[in-house]
Amino acid sequence: MMLSSMRDVVFGYGNEPVIDRLSLDIEAGQFIGITGPNGAAKTTLLKLMLGLLKPWSGTVSLNREISGEGRLVIGYVPQQVASFNAGFPSKVIELVRSGCYSRLGLFSRFTKEQEALVESSLRQVEMWDYRNRRIGELSGGQKQRICIARALAQQPQVLVLDEPVTGLDAASRSGFYKLMRHYVSQHGWTVIMVTHGLEESGAYLDTVITLERQEQEGWTCLVTNSCSAHFGQEA
Amino acid sequence: MLGYEFMQRAFWAGGLIGLIGPLLGVYLMLRRQVLMADTLSHVSLAGVALGSVLQWNPALSGFSVAVAGGLVIEQLRRSYRTYSELPVAIIMTSGLALAVVLMSLKQNLSKSFSSYLFGSIVAVSNTQLKLIAIVAAAGLLYFIVLRRPLYSLTFDEETASISGVRTGLLSFSFAVLTGMTVAAAMPVVGVLLVSALIVLPASIALRIASGFTAAIFIAVGAGLTGVFSGLTASYYINTPPGGTIALILLVILLVTIGVQRLIKLRNRRSAHPSTTN
Repeated sequence: MMLSSMRDVVFGYGNEPVIDRLSLDIEAGQFIGITGPNGAAKTTLLKLMLGLLKPWSGTVSLNREISGEGRLVIGYVPQQVASFNAGFPSKVIELVRSGCYSRLGLFSRFTKEQEALVESSLRQVEMWDYRNRRIGELSGGQKQRICIARALAQQPQVLVLDEPVTGLDAASRSGFYKLMRHYVSQHGWTVIMVTHGLEESGAYLDTVITLERQEQEGWTCLVTNSCSAHFGQEA
Repeated sequence: MLGYEFMQRAFWAGGLIGLIGPLLGVYLMLRRQVLMADTLSHVSLAGVALGSVLQWNPALSGFSVAVAGGLVIEQLRRSYRTYSELPVAIIMTSGLALAVVLMSLKQNLSKSFSSYLFGSIVAVSNTQLKLIAIVAAAGLLYFIVLRRPLYSLTFDEETASISGVRTGLLSFSFAVLTGMTVAAAMPVVGVLLVSALIVLPASIALRIASGFTAAIFIAVGAGLTGVFSGLTASYYINTPPGGTIALILLVILLVTIGVQRLIKLRNRRSAHPSTTN
């Protein structure tokens, strides 16, 4: 099933477009990597897809019917999210609990299942022991992990991650890719991830989208590859 | 002291503003809009001047213009995302300039302006008290009902938007509430000190709170302590209430910083006893 479709999309920040007549289809239920050199408009592509940016021309559609729950829940971990205001007076567990807010009404109380979900999300990123720490006291890598935990606690049908492994060590990166593979294979999530580390993540991906800036023409063109040998069924 | 009706009204008005102002202040500080309260108080002053010139109710025109100013700031903030402090500076300058020019158009206006500039909480009327009570009740309801989306919005607007929070509506309603609170607080502490009552308790809370909920309660506690002790002190030593409240809050902030440093120093010494000898 198609998750997102872009047709002849043009977008730029100044007078020149950074994306010019881009057409792209993204399938649901896959682990998709978006890669390309700096300035290739990877983050811009994500933001266009999520509706955070409006294209100058062309169409962007997001299929909200894939969930079967009436509404599409999207988790998002933006680029450099770990550089958030260090003075933000929040405990780790408060931040991760906020991931459940999108499924809670304004007056609903947290259920035991949601509390368990928050705990398992923190355990999956190995941050449960830090749950009562103030987020400003954490290292960059730890901040990145709790932002991922918040997205996991959201239980999204679609998880969009912009360079999520920044600040993580090699073992944590590997564990993260396996975790994402697990959610795609076992829970049917769609995971879309901007990455520079294809040599590490490539084996876990279903599809790689490579953005390349054509200097002479001045626009961004697109190459889509299916991975011939992605990681096995279960992490 | 509380036998006087005017002091009872002052304590009620101060208590209500001391409750809602610091609560708002925590969100303003975390959204990096700390100057918004100050700006809206200047804009409100222009509204008061406009009301006086046009023979309208100055309190009502000040209130309306503060709310409108909040909406304009929010709209400009969306246009100047990279320089979000720019619209605040533009509106503050415009508000003050407009107030000064309008004041010059009406003779004898500057005298009644002093009550707006410096506050006259002991002269709060029943009508003003009712307005403050309505704003405080609306604000409390707003922050209780919308605490979850407000937390998400304050932490990261983009992520909140994607996860389904109606960030535009929430931001605009927040701006309206800020304008309402500033306009209601003006008779209590005056234009010059209105941001002190909003910002200082929040500054105290953000230094010592272990979590978000704790920050809210500490800010409100500090605000109420500042207001009640300031009013009491001003009654007995005959000082202006607004300035006394702000100074007490400042002292609380300085003591908090000092105690926090002492605790850190003691913890370091106990962790590394050899390095201190």
